Amino acid sequence: MKISTVAIKTIALSTFGSFLRNKVILLFVSLFVCIVLLMMSPLLAYKAMTSADNAQQMQGFILNEVATVVSMVSGFGSLLAAWAAADSVAGEMKSGTILAVMARPLRRWEFLAGKYLGVLMLMAVYVVAMFGVTFLLAWLGGQSFRTSLWTLLVYPLVRYAIWAAIAMFLVTMLHPILVMGIVVILATLIQVFASTSSHMPVWLRMPLHLTLPLTGLLSEERFMVITRASLKPFPWTNHLTVLAYGVDYALVCFLLAVFVFQRRSLARD
Amino acid sequence: MASPAIEFSGVTKVYQRRFGGVQIAALSNISFEVARGEVCAFLGPNGAGKTTSMNILMGFIYASSGRSRVFGYEPGDVRAKERIGFLPENFAFYRYLNAEKLLHFHLRLSGRRLPDPAALIASLLAKVKLDTYKGLKIGKYSRGMVQRLGIAQALLGDPELLVLDEPTSGLDPAGRKEVRDLILALKAEGKTIFLSSHILSEVEQICDRVIIIDRGHMVRAGTMQEMLAEDNRVEIIVDQLSEEMELAVKEQAASVEREAHRVRIAVDIAHKRALAEMLWAGGCDVISLTPMKSSLEETFLKLVAGGTAQ
Repeated sequence: MKISTVAIKTIALSTFGSFLRNKVILLFVSLFVCIVLLMMSPLLAYKAMTSADNAQQMQGFILNEVATVVSMVSGFGSLLAAWAAADSVAGEMKSGTILAVMARPLRRWEFLAGKYLGVLMLMAVYVVAMFGVTFLLAWLGGQSFRTSLWTLLVYPLVRYAIWAAIAMFLVTMLHPILVMGIVVILATLIQVFASTSSHMPVWLRMPLHLTLPLTGLLSEERFMVITRASLKPFPWTNHLTVLAYGVDYALVCFLLAVFVFQRRSLARD
Repeated sequence: MASPAIEFSGVTKVYQRRFGGVQIAALSNISFEVARGEVCAFLGPNGAGKTTSMNILMGFIYASSGRSRVFGYEPGDVRAKERIGFLPENFAFYRYLNAEKLLHFHLRLSGRRLPDPAALIASLLAKVKLDTYKGLKIGKYSRGMVQRLGIAQALLGDPELLVLDEPTSGLDPAGRKEVRDLILALKAEGKTIFLSSHILSEVEQICDRVIIIDRGHMVRAGTMQEMLAEDNRVEIIVDQLSEEMELAVKEQAASVEREAHRVRIAVDIAHKRALAEMLWAGGCDVISLTPMKSSLEETFLKLVAGGTAQ
């Protein structure tokens, strides 16, 4: 079976191009930039108010503010990844553009792979931008990173790959709005599970452990404490295991999406 | 022997509502073949199941039962799709692209490698008369322009089989004639064309064979000649007909239609000789005697839903 890499690449680039013109995504990004700018104003005010007497206290305020913004930006990325993945497939189905595309010598999984890669391209741009914002905020907070920073790029990207794959799987069966609802519920459930799993009975903890994406493992907060602006030392085997877990989870979700998409109707009934 | 271009054998499609459990049969036991090099029309009133059949043929939806093949492959198989050019009923497009970019996009997807893809795209745009609008975003195109662009994208991969769902929809009379001429030129090149249309006079001019379905059931399939020769009557034209002769003619179960300078008599083919001899003997000058052919539209209306569907 010859895989059409040219077709996958073409779909991926077209999907990425369409994101840059997608009004909903542009609205989200504008809103996000506005919120970051709004949150930066108290940060700059704290910095301006810093004097020799209150330096330590102000430094604490600033770094807390920075940590909040970084955490928010990172969490927003998960929603963006899910929305982009859901919209990229559902949009083609709704508009009917998928018919002319799928009439080409292209397998259904290749179409989905192209869409998924397009979403990952968008998220890669987002991660780079997030990286820039983190640096900018840390600099404003008077900190500088001194450790290897590849983790700040790879970890969020793998986390977003998971959310994109989950959304892509769900959108092969459900309406994108419903998909986003489930994604939000799932993200909340993960937070609740992370904080309460130790108190849960084994019969509940085990299945949740196996099915929920443990995105907390892929959180930058595990190895980066923004308030110290330094990275915790992690052995490379740990990085490898965590990243392999993330990639595997995303792959399983993507394969489930392919399985469902293979069987579903592409035309509106 | 080479497999037919299209093969449908006992194809049934039943849609089932998710929660209500109501079943709607869109196609019931449809069987037909389209030979290579043939121009075949797929006709039926709205909701007959034409688009469902085409969607099954393209691998967009799956039949509930039955067997369908395109060049011997399952629908949706890339080996089949490499040889098909498809125009959907409502050609949808990326509104932010212009015609040139959209065709480049589809050309890359088609897997066709050319030394000069831009030349092919330019020639196709010229063929569908969109060369002067190639830089304009497709979102600003009229319905007819979009349809022309859809035809251009269907021709991109130099397909052996063209599946065209309503190719002349949205086109003005001149545009329809251009598409008709284009289909005839493709037919001369030996391409197989499978098209659906509601404009039966056009179908009559370009198609070799006709398949008619109604409410998911196959009504008739045959060559265009067979379809047009459905009427088993002959038309006898005479210069004049007296009142007595008219009564005698009507006794032969013939119909009479008087015009300014001649009289048309339609009679069952079994009575043609007797009637012609009677007319000669009665002193009428028989100008012509020709087998009557009903138009495709008349045949269609007779076959489909008691003539009310169209």
